[in-house]
Amino acid sequence: MIHTIVYGFTIGAILYFITIGLSLTFGMMRVINFAHTLTYTLGVYMLVSLGALFKGYFVIAAMIAVVVVIPISYLIERYIIRRLYGESLDHTFIATFAVALIGVDTIKWIWGVRPYPLSDPIGEYLMIWGLTLPIYRIVIVMIAILLFIGLEFFFRKSIVGKIVVAALEDKDGVGCLGIDVDHYFSIVFMMGSALAALGGVLYAPISSVHPYMGLSILLLCFAVVIVGGMGNLRGTFVSALALGMVMAVTARYWSQGAETMVFIVMAIVLIFRPIDI
Amino acid sequence: MREQELIGVLVIFGGFLLITPVLSVNRVTDFMIFCIFAMSFDLMYGYMGRLSFGHLLFLGTGAYCSGLFLKYVSKNPLLAIIVGILVAGLLGMLIGLIIVRTTGACFALINLAFNHIGFFLVLSPLRKITNGEDGFGIHASPFGFLNFSSRTTMYWFVLICLVLVFYLLKRVTSSPFGILIRSIKEDETRVKFLGYNTFLYKWVTFVLAGSAAGLAGTLTALNYNYVNPNVMDVHSNVGAVFACLIGGAGSLYGAIVGGVSYMVISNYLPIYIQRWEMFLGIALLMIIFRFQKGIWGYLQSVWEYVERRKTVLRAMGAGAVKR
Repeated sequence: MIHTIVYGFTIGAILYFITIGLSLTFGMMRVINFAHTLTYTLGVYMLVSLGALFKGYFVIAAMIAVVVVIPISYLIERYIIRRLYGESLDHTFIATFAVALIGVDTIKWIWGVRPYPLSDPIGEYLMIWGLTLPIYRIVIVMIAILLFIGLEFFFRKSIVGKIVVAALEDKDGVGCLGIDVDHYFSIVFMMGSALAALGGVLYAPISSVHPYMGLSILLLCFAVVIVGGMGNLRGTFVSALALGMVMAVTARYWSQGAETMVFIVMAIVLIFRPIDI
Repeated sequence: MREQELIGVLVIFGGFLLITPVLSVNRVTDFMIFCIFAMSFDLMYGYMGRLSFGHLLFLGTGAYCSGLFLKYVSKNPLLAIIVGILVAGLLGMLIGLIIVRTTGACFALINLAFNHIGFFLVLSPLRKITNGEDGFGIHASPFGFLNFSSRTTMYWFVLICLVLVFYLLKRVTSSPFGILIRSIKEDETRVKFLGYNTFLYKWVTFVLAGSAAGLAGTLTALNYNYVNPNVMDVHSNVGAVFACLIGGAGSLYGAIVGGVSYMVISNYLPIYIQRWEMFLGIALLMIIFRFQKGIWGYLQSVWEYVERRKTVLRAMGAGAVKR
């Protein structure tokens, strides 16, 4: 049972990394960003290439992979997302999906469709009360908690964070104060993309690496955003961990049902508390 | 049958007959089934303004129900088609009660959730009867002159189905009911304010779209003589959205033009261009940023421009005579 809980927290932590950016884009700009997990996939593939370069230095490779993704996400924001503000929802969906298609195809072009194996970079186990837990998973959970605290500070104490929180409430109001919301949004967008890449980099060693990995996790991330509430940062944290736990517990008893359970939870939440945008 | 609809039906009939020798009978049958699906999707997306990410649920339900009917109950293909449509419609009635209350992103995502649940159901808990991931083969015995194992019969049958669906949907969308649906797309609050029960209208549209998609599903099953969970794979939903957008949402002709274009792109482009997904992505970006009305909408505006020019020229001509 402890295993299941740790696994649930790991999946929840990964979902949290990926979902922050999605939730912010959703909440601030009313853009459903299907291209969000493109950065997640890109980060992982960068890690695959860099991992071969920096043999044995996983941390350095991971950090460079996350940093490399930032300019790419800037390009996506500048040339695609920025044009979509105020467009109807379906148009934003199609445009970002098109970006995701182009990105996935580029990845197939460069790296091929063959799945890459990546091994657990720590590979050691923690023995605690007669249990063996992979240290790597515990590290992921730790990073997630640190990140949550860090983000709380960022959104409470820093100017950028405060502006973003205010813009989530009332974008036009903030704009009226003479603050260029789009500018701050592009910072937040890049941050979200980098965090998605971080999630990918951390998740890749315990899952499989293939060009469509972004699309398959994207639907789960939407469920997290819906359950947590759009643009609600703490809600995202709680719902990511809760849904990760739902997945882990379902998988323990009924392995095929894990993903579907998340969608059932999402459907129930939507029925009782519909969002309207 | 009014003149306009008759022309539409003839144009579609003739158009598909014309492209058949160029492509092949098998491919065109595929294309037509996809066009039926695209039209049913367009009824919901283009006319009612509700984007769904889970419309394949109905196609899959139709395919599975008719397939299971043929496998376990009777080998009569027409009965199987009716069962498929009815069950898809019933499913639409049931989940429509919940889904239709929502709008926008919520509508899209809750559809997606149900589609995922359906996919999962046929994949795993119903494995005993649906044979899980591998799917099952079906065999329909001939019904009168309708022998569905013959490619040409299948072709003609699907063509007639397509034309029938087109005619029915054309009638529905040009009736007062269709106008109401379109006004719900524009502004639901005002329609409510006028005293209409918008929930009922949306629900009926949802059920209609579901049944039409169910028909497309039964035809898919009969066409391939085979059903597997891929027919309702969540990720394939984008195909219908693309078809509607390429062709031009909010018009049945647009759905058909878009359906054929999308199928041509996804069937033929991979043969010539290895990076066809990239091409599709760039094409979609162009559509979104430049031609939001799609191919059909663009043709329509060109047509309107020509007509306007004509009237202007005629008026000028008349003026010249008077002078």
